[in-house]
Amino acid sequence: MKTKTTAKVLGAALLTMALAGTTTVYAEEQYTIGIEQFAEHGSLDNCREGFLEGLKEEGIEEGKNLTVDYKNAAADMGTCGQISDSFASDKVDLMVGIATPSAQSLYNAAMDAEIPVIYTAVTDPVAAELADEEGNPVGEITGTSDKLPVKQQLEMIRQMLPEAETIGIMYTTSEANSESAIKEYEALAGDYDFKIETAGITTTADIPLAAQTLIEKVDCMTNLTDNTVVSSLPTILEMANEAGIPVFGSEIEQVKLGCLAAEGLDYIELGKQTGKMAAQVLKGEKKASELSFETIEEAALYVNTAAAENLGIEIPEEMTASAAEVFEEITEAE
Amino acid sequence: MDFFITIIEQGLIYGILALGVYITYKILDFPDLTTDGSFPLGAAVTAALITRGVNPYLTLPIAFAAGALAGVCTGLIHVKGRVRDLLSGIIMMTALWTINLRIAGTSNVPLFSKETIFKNDFLAGLFPDAMGSYSTLIVIVILALLTKVVLDFYMKSKSGFLLRAVGDNEKLVTALAKDQGNVKILGLAIANGLVALSGCIFCQEERVFEISMGTGAVVIGLASVIIGTSLFRNLTFMKATTSVVIGSVLYKACTAVAMKNFEPQDMKLITAVLFLIVLLISMERKKKVKINA
Repeated sequence: MKTKTTAKVLGAALLTMALAGTTTVYAEEQYTIGIEQFAEHGSLDNCREGFLEGLKEEGIEEGKNLTVDYKNAAADMGTCGQISDSFASDKVDLMVGIATPSAQSLYNAAMDAEIPVIYTAVTDPVAAELADEEGNPVGEITGTSDKLPVKQQLEMIRQMLPEAETIGIMYTTSEANSESAIKEYEALAGDYDFKIETAGITTTADIPLAAQTLIEKVDCMTNLTDNTVVSSLPTILEMANEAGIPVFGSEIEQVKLGCLAAEGLDYIELGKQTGKMAAQVLKGEKKASELSFETIEEAALYVNTAAAENLGIEIPEEMTASAAEVFEEITEAE
Repeated sequence: MDFFITIIEQGLIYGILALGVYITYKILDFPDLTTDGSFPLGAAVTAALITRGVNPYLTLPIAFAAGALAGVCTGLIHVKGRVRDLLSGIIMMTALWTINLRIAGTSNVPLFSKETIFKNDFLAGLFPDAMGSYSTLIVIVILALLTKVVLDFYMKSKSGFLLRAVGDNEKLVTALAKDQGNVKILGLAIANGLVALSGCIFCQEERVFEISMGTGAVVIGLASVIIGTSLFRNLTFMKATTSVVIGSVLYKACTAVAMKNFEPQDMKLITAVLFLIVLLISMERKKKVKINA
């Protein structure tokens, strides 16, 4: 008799528990992502901020339903590989690579772990073999590209300096994004009556000498999305300003630091676009392999009137009027 | 589990590099900085060959040969040019930056879509699907073991004996009517060949060639050699080559653990502290032995 009662009681208890389980409110989905940024500088930082903003706009917010593991490789390839491996073994839901070396390293680590990868600030995804020639992803990897608006930049320089003949470009020989950008510059420079002079460096230590050599040969300088050069921009600006050589930037942060002007991409917008793509993959709405990589076509003009004053250059009225943003002072690097 | 597999994979690949550094640093007593240049040389040659459709297994001996050539150059500069050992290595390391760029064609060569020693039709047929993720580990273990065994074999030969002699006692080599300069050049060739082989395997494992991948290679190699030889100094049954490879795995394990708990920026300091601790421990042991004697 007792055993039967016990069995009935137990059975009832189990049933209640089972029913209770099914009526529990489904807990909100928690996401963990790993962000690997290749180097520390304003443009890449902007990408990251924009990315988190983009995710927030899609309802995925840090602290609410998102844990972010952010690691910076400080421009070292070895560290890059180690960070990628640690994200893969942590089995995060999504990996984000900011800049080409990080993106490639994450893709390699993710191949065996089957974790989707989103990249941003990769100048040429096709050359990096992250997308095929038609722009389709080669695997569970997609993202946004920060291809430089070379044509618009050359046009703008011509408008600002009607008499300049040579443009100097400093780049790091180990950055493939710089090599492809220079090829484009050299192809289009002739259309605007410009000649391009380049100076290649291997590390930050080479910058002062390379800057000196360039400054003597050119009428103005322009920047690419070269991580090493951009990180040392204040040094280059100081030397160029002393010689009266204007330096044009490739992005808004560089103009803030004292570059004369830039036909630049808004890296925060680029980041936001990337964030929205990532949200789609995280929520399972689309797979990374179904999304082609995106680029920002629009370049916006940024000018710095304080820099213009220091160099004794008059910026044409219509340029300041049409600029997306005009900076009136030179800010210190953060 | 993945965590440990990655550590072993990386440790064994760099173990081959450590074998090369062991030859120059411990056996020849020659601090060789060519390593920072011959590691990416192996990778550059590999990338250049694979993108041209060469069978990936052929890249292994070719990369070794390229590294050996670099070692010969260092040796010639040192022996014939009478340049200090440290400086000969630095000269070659600097020259190799340009040479590597030229060989690879550009600073970043991705190999994602190409066949490598880890991803090809032969292997796909060999391993059943379930073992798929372990195939990389197995290939690396086989390669590392093979290299170590061949090296051990060589060290027992007359040529290997001369190599050890020239590091300890140059006069002995001359007494045996052999040219110690030539022996040194041979040693450098073998060592840098091993380093380039390691670079070849690393490049195929990472599926990308990056020109800056060699920076700091000699530090990793030295750390592995020192950790391995110091920790296993008293175990007579363990060959030096084995302890060096194990030292490499241990070093990679430490950096991986450090990466999990610290910021990447702190990594180099942690590496330096680790290195120092190992050196101090091995020095202490030396002292203790002397006191008792």
